[in-house]
Amino acid sequence: MTVTEKTVSAAPSEPAAWAGRGLGWLRTQYPLLILLVLVVLAAVLSDAFLSTRNLENLVLQMSVIGIVALAQFIVVVSGGIDISVGSVLGLACVLSAGLFGGASTGLAVLVALGTGALLGAVNGFLVAFRGLEPFIVTLGMLALARGLVYAYTEGVPVRPADPAFTLVGTATVLGVPVLGVIWVAVALGMAFLLRRTVFGRRVYAVGSTPEAAHASGVPVRGTLLAVYVIAGLLVGLGGFLLASRVGAGTPTAGTLFELDAIAAVVIGGARLSGGQGRVFGAVVGTAIFGVITNLLVLLNVSTFLQDAFRGALILLAVALATIGRSPARRGR
Amino acid sequence: MGTMNRVVFSARGVGKSYPGVQALSGVDLDGRAGEVLAICGANGAGKSTFARLLAGQEPPSAGEIRVAGHPEPVADPAEADRAGILLMHQEPLVVDDFTVAENVWLYRLRSGRDIRPWSLARRGDDDATRQALRDVGLGDVAPTRLAGSLAPGQRQMLALARARVTPHQVLILDETTASTTEEHFADVQEMVAAEKAAGTAVVFVSHRMPEVFALSDRIAVLRGGRLVDVLRTAGTDAAEVTALMIGEGVRALERPPAHRAEGRAPALAVRGLHAGSATDVSFDVRGGEVVGIYGLVGSGRSSVARSVSGQQQPRAGTVEVGGRAVTMRSPGAALRHGVVHLTEDRRREGFVGEFTNAENLSLVTLPRLATAGVVRRRDERSRVTELIERFQVKGGPETPTRALSGGNQQKVCLAKWLAADPDVIVLDEPTKGIDVGARLNIYEIIHGLSQQDRAVLVVTSEAEEALLLCHRVLVLRDGRLVAEFDAAEASTEDLMRAALGGAAALGSDAAQGGDAA
Repeated sequence: MTVTEKTVSAAPSEPAAWAGRGLGWLRTQYPLLILLVLVVLAAVLSDAFLSTRNLENLVLQMSVIGIVALAQFIVVVSGGIDISVGSVLGLACVLSAGLFGGASTGLAVLVALGTGALLGAVNGFLVAFRGLEPFIVTLGMLALARGLVYAYTEGVPVRPADPAFTLVGTATVLGVPVLGVIWVAVALGMAFLLRRTVFGRRVYAVGSTPEAAHASGVPVRGTLLAVYVIAGLLVGLGGFLLASRVGAGTPTAGTLFELDAIAAVVIGGARLSGGQGRVFGAVVGTAIFGVITNLLVLLNVSTFLQDAFRGALILLAVALATIGRSPARRGR
Repeated sequence: MGTMNRVVFSARGVGKSYPGVQALSGVDLDGRAGEVLAICGANGAGKSTFARLLAGQEPPSAGEIRVAGHPEPVADPAEADRAGILLMHQEPLVVDDFTVAENVWLYRLRSGRDIRPWSLARRGDDDATRQALRDVGLGDVAPTRLAGSLAPGQRQMLALARARVTPHQVLILDETTASTTEEHFADVQEMVAAEKAAGTAVVFVSHRMPEVFALSDRIAVLRGGRLVDVLRTAGTDAAEVTALMIGEGVRALERPPAHRAEGRAPALAVRGLHAGSATDVSFDVRGGEVVGIYGLVGSGRSSVARSVSGQQQPRAGTVEVGGRAVTMRSPGAALRHGVVHLTEDRRREGFVGEFTNAENLSLVTLPRLATAGVVRRRDERSRVTELIERFQVKGGPETPTRALSGGNQQKVCLAKWLAADPDVIVLDEPTKGIDVGARLNIYEIIHGLSQQDRAVLVVTSEAEEALLLCHRVLVLRDGRLVAEFDAAEASTEDLMRAALGGAAALGSDAAQGGDAA
């Protein structure tokens, strides 16, 4: 058996080399393997899992958090962290439902995007131009935005007047929820931005070695500011989509989203110290979380235990991540 | 004499293989008490691998290393520590947020030898600490100062001070002098002499011939992972050792004919520059000319280089590029004026740690390889391939730059800047920590730039390099431009005398190194 293995690696004939590369790719895609195992497990454990209704539900649940995870992803790649995503999403959510009485859906979208971009710009300014720790800045923003949510709503859900408001959040295209389509579109856009553009390359450079990036003529501060604004825009979009799906801006909207988003990003293989990670990983990470939550609901596990399960999953995934890494990289 | 030659460690048939690489094979080597054994070799010859194996950082894949008075062969760091082997790394391991004194006693924390929580705090301004610092030429540094505020050379010496307070019988200096400059070398020499007198077996890993000959008693030469020869230092010379290191096809370093663009406006004109410790510095660099700036640590040589290339803002003075006065607020702005700067601190500022060669090589010129912000991947690919070939970078586009040897990393750093086709090229210590072969490559590249009428400013702490590489050499002392030499007529002694200000005390100059930036 060892002999066959050896011939595969020693003689790089075309198909063998291809297979080897495929295996190499799979080895780095352990989150995808976890997801596949989870899906199979879910299908075996619960008959309801593969039903159209449940799958549609699953996509609806994952989409908003998936977009927030993408916002978190770009911040993490730039070497920062944004723990204000949940609160900013909440504020965008209630403002888009409430301002102008929800008279126009188009206006609501603009309000949500504007809210996210503005708060993101504040985060970005303090991190990039004042040199403050992203954790502390966004911790402050977390409290600030959530406080504004409660002050604005007085603790009561805000209902928009425009009947078209819930259209985006509930419509389907060929059986696929529009929310899911938007999520995939945002993910593709993010992958393009980070992998194919000058800006994306700079985000990785700044996240990995900011001193070298600066010395090489990369506008480090401008890049960081843009990263937080983009993250804010995505979070704002998530806020509107959540309001549209629920049909109201609830004051608790987005609570603890930061945990799920950070966990999804880390499970997806991004490094919290920045400069490493792939968009696909963040998408898979989100899906892993979505499937677990969905399965636990289907199995009637108590909500308290659900949280414990999710926490255990984060620990397990992070531990697995160290196995995938080569010893050389770990030894550094 | 008999006890002086007691064998302290002996390596028998030691080999080390990594996936795909045989780094070391069949090495038999003894280290004796009170003797300095130099280990020489080009980069990749296996000298650092041998140092790591001896220090137990990694187990050998073949053979074993035994230490006198210790029952087990050395295979892990704890074992090496108990056997009394002390390794000094190329990059000094200094805890920035600890005081100087705490750093001196840091190794006391290892192996649970002394983990009483109050023991570190108690170590401060006592006699033992001050003596250890004096022994390495840091007598003027307050033990209560934070280690983070020390200059690079001082950090290295601080790490060496640990050897004075940590019991050991083998001391390995792994390229320890690569990041120190000439003026600290006298302190290293004194310290090594004290170690010899105490009966330590000193292993000095280096490829810098003058230092090897100043320090060692025997020289072991490695090439391609094999031990080529062990020579008595007294019975050989640098040419022989270099020939053994490189093997066949030895080339001597020779300066190509000077190529100066006469009668043209200077490509770089600096007037009344004040920056860091540099005071009122004025000079010109013409196209096609290689001008050197030589000086001790703290003389302001790096400040000058950084403030004419946008890495640092000068306090006062004007910089003209191609006859036009410019202000360069950032490295990006300098690049737009055609000025680039190769950093002295390759690891931190030279290249992006997580990037491949391709990504690092295109980082500077990426906007030119993009349409509306989207990278034209085919153009990038061909540009990178061309650069790798032109500068003979070992490793392909997908190799992480971090995994390359120092010389090849430096080629990547240089290539990424030259890809931008600059007019003025500022090089800060371009051959720091680089072996002989790569050094020749870098010299050739620099001379090639001069042939293309580029203006090159080279900052160096090696007088020999300044004379070999440059057409003119400016000497800075205490921030002031004190002398200018024609490289063809000056000697290294002239340069050093100008830099020191006659027979000035070495110690005081080195101690002022804190403001070097």
